[in-house]
Amino acid sequence: MSTPPTTTYENHSLNTKKKSQWLEVWKRLKKSRTAVIGLILILMFLMLALFAPFIADYEKDALGMNVKERLQSPNLTHWFGTDEFGRDIFARIVYGTRISLFVGIISVSIALSLGGTLGAIAGYYGGRIDNAIMRVLDVLLAIPTILLAITIVAALGASILNLMIAVGISNIPGFARVVRASVLSVKDQEYIESARAIGARDHTIILKHVLPNSMAPIVVFATLKVASAIMATSSLSFIGLGIQPPTPEWGNMLAGGRAYIRDHMYIVLSPGLAIVLTVLSLNLIGDGLRDALDPKLK
Amino acid sequence: MSEIILEVKNLKKYFDSPKGKLHAVDDVSFAIEKGKTLGVVGESGCGKSTTGRVILRLLEATDGEIFYKGVNIRKLSAAKMRELRREMQIIFQDPFSSLDPRNTVSEIIEEPIILNKLIKNKKQRFERVLELMDLVGLSRRLINTYPHELDGGRRQRIGIARALALNTEFIVCDEPVSALDVSIQAQILNLLKNLQHKLGLTYIFITHDLSVVNHFSDDVAVMYLGKMVEKAPAEELFSHPVHPYTQALLSAIPRPTLDKHEKIILKGEITSPIEPEPICRFANRCRYAEDICRREEPQLETVEGEHEVACHRWRELEG
Amino acid sequence: MKDHILEIKDLHIQFNTDEGVVQALNGIDITLERGKTLGLVGETGAGKTTTALSVLRLVPQPPGEVVSGSIILDGIPIMEQSEYEMEKIRGKTVSMIFQDPMTALNPVIKVGEQIAEAISIHQKLSKEKSLAKAREVLELVGIPGNRMQEYPHQFSGGMKQRVIIAIALSCSPKLLIADEPTTALDVTIQAQVLELMKELKQKFHMAMVMISHDLGVVAEVCDDVAIMYAGRIVEQGSLEDIFLRTKHPYTEGLFNSIPNIDDRKAELIPIRGLMSDPYNLPSGCPFFDRCDYAMDTCRTEKPVKHSFSETHFTECHLYTAQPEFSLKSKKTKE
Repeated sequence: MSTPPTTTYENHSLNTKKKSQWLEVWKRLKKSRTAVIGLILILMFLMLALFAPFIADYEKDALGMNVKERLQSPNLTHWFGTDEFGRDIFARIVYGTRISLFVGIISVSIALSLGGTLGAIAGYYGGRIDNAIMRVLDVLLAIPTILLAITIVAALGASILNLMIAVGISNIPGFARVVRASVLSVKDQEYIESARAIGARDHTIILKHVLPNSMAPIVVFATLKVASAIMATSSLSFIGLGIQPPTPEWGNMLAGGRAYIRDHMYIVLSPGLAIVLTVLSLNLIGDGLRDALDPKLK
Repeated sequence: MSEIILEVKNLKKYFDSPKGKLHAVDDVSFAIEKGKTLGVVGESGCGKSTTGRVILRLLEATDGEIFYKGVNIRKLSAAKMRELRREMQIIFQDPFSSLDPRNTVSEIIEEPIILNKLIKNKKQRFERVLELMDLVGLSRRLINTYPHELDGGRRQRIGIARALALNTEFIVCDEPVSALDVSIQAQILNLLKNLQHKLGLTYIFITHDLSVVNHFSDDVAVMYLGKMVEKAPAEELFSHPVHPYTQALLSAIPRPTLDKHEKIILKGEITSPIEPEPICRFANRCRYAEDICRREEPQLETVEGEHEVACHRWRELEG
Repeated sequence: MKDHILEIKDLHIQFNTDEGVVQALNGIDITLERGKTLGLVGETGAGKTTTALSVLRLVPQPPGEVVSGSIILDGIPIMEQSEYEMEKIRGKTVSMIFQDPMTALNPVIKVGEQIAEAISIHQKLSKEKSLAKAREVLELVGIPGNRMQEYPHQFSGGMKQRVIIAIALSCSPKLLIADEPTTALDVTIQAQVLELMKELKQKFHMAMVMISHDLGVVAEVCDDVAIMYAGRIVEQGSLEDIFLRTKHPYTEGLFNSIPNIDDRKAELIPIRGLMSDPYNLPSGCPFFDRCDYAMDTCRTEKPVKHSFSETHFTECHLYTAQPEFSLKSKKTKE
């Protein structure tokens, strides 16, 4: 039996490759059929969003009004038909994807970074700091999300930036809560005490040990929140406080097509389906992630 | 006569609880010589783990003094305390929860070195980690594995390597083998003993398992409800236990032999550590309790040499 | 032919997981006479809990799978019972107590009701009668009856374990399986609970399987002992057989690694290495790489059973050639 070479600095990475723990999660996620369906769907939407300019021309197809072509049912030239202004619905859906995904991801990022920081501080330090932060956020939480978003947009004006801010802010308390709970569950673990014993300062402990270990519930929550952010965006646009026409957005497309629903149902069918499918796919992924990350199932 | 490396005087740690103050550690004093091991034994709730943590200032004492190498460490600033941490370390009980599951073995062991800026050169640091792994008997090829891939015994070795990474001289071992299988316990205990001889370490060995402490300590302190009820050199304590609680504790240990020995079964339950009355806290369960036990708190008295006991009736019972 | 309360024959159980097949039990044979206590000793992963759960048919299938073997409890073939029939057996013919008293009781139901629940499942009694009986059982385990109205969190660890014992005994089972019942308890409380179990065992003339890794506990309570390793019983015998005439190197290793409270100078001799990988058991003796007496045959061939008396046997190659072989044991004999 040959002796394996002694580990040295030069060759150590040849030993048991540092397996990424996220790889483990990915493997488990793949096992859920619904999660995989969700992933495929969202990937599809991502592709649409990324390659939009290659799929359809913005000026011509999404915005270009052509009264002669109005209210056409789905056909070979216009896959999803045309709307009341003769615009190609498919092209509008494709560009609408960009907005929905963009606003969804950015607003959740805002909520995650601000809410998450507040929640981490509240959870880690506890006591009066915890109380102060959480009570203030409770006030925010008491206001229905949509109402809060409406108020902010009404105050700041309807633009894509303000939409992101509105949806982002209304989600801060939720993220703060989730991150706080996660931090609470981790901070009393002995390895945190161990870090303190070797002289680590608080900020090092939070960033290096607490947060990485409390990611699981946060990731699941964030995924589901992107779904609800997309819903919120569409809802706000639907009632006229979000993205303004003629910019294509699924919500305002629904609003515009409402009058024609009886005879030209396809006008609302496509944006409606688009919303349903994106939200559904994100929920499926979120559920799959929740199971994949569950330590008890390891 | 060795120098005294750690001295604790009248140490108290009280916690706030809705019903009043919880006296976790109540007026405990002892001293340990360099290179020796003090075993601290007791059952759950006696305050032994809290004592260990208070000594390292992982918890702040309510009162009392802690002298490390003659310096009153309670008075040190946070920065100076961090420096001192290089010498005073802790090994935890649970090898499953005391290691960050997201770090590899090498990351766990090198963390103290990085944080304390002891070795800046990456290669040298790596060599040091390998050295430590050799020291504790961990195979080098495990360098990039995660804790959850290893068994309890190996995980505990990681914890020990981490505790030794700095210029450690003093280690609080908080039930280091209680969570391990019997045959692995023996391996780790032998390791700790060897390291002590090799590196001149001083230990406080906290455990509820008396048979282990007999094997492993020079002196033993028995705690009950926050108080130190008896303290003696290990051999003396085991051959000549004076305090009724120590006697009951010793007799309760199931022995792996067929010899029958008399078992003292304690009646009743442990009293509450919240706002305890100033009487003997063991009185309600003691088979020798008399009036005085229920009226006054016993103080530590010398039985003989280094052997101390806190019991009103010890002279009568010995005589 | 003795009347056995429990007969396990050649039980093989495996767990089919994503990472492979865990060979948990590899041919377990156990016979237990009525009223006697068997100690099942072994370390983590030996298969003790799986054995216990299989008697109650509580091994989750999947991922568990009973590959072969039979279990006969009080004359009833367990493997052939329907789930409905098993529910009637669990708690009545055989009861089990688990290791952790802290989580075994429902925190939101009063203690008295939890005991009464166990009673009313098996005996058709009215609510008052069940509660009355519950009170009796509670007092039997040394807890004042009026504490029936309290919730689990108001009890200490030792008392919770007593409550669990009360629940287990409420329907007078013929066999009690106790899985490390005192491991989580303080030493003085452990002494109390063991004393209680000995009394009850006498009173009810109940057979018991006591699972433990602690040979001291076993010495206190058991009549017979079976030492398990990697899913097999490597040595079995009466208390005297195991303690005074130890035959298997693993058993000897266990004795040597326990600090002896009466002899502090004795050196601790740990068993080197680790238990074999249950996903990949070696073809020969599973203890081979940790055994100080290992021979060549041990690596490739599975050891055969060798009986020393009607009660005492072991599985070890040492005795096939030399039945009189004696281990160089370092523990002090009586």
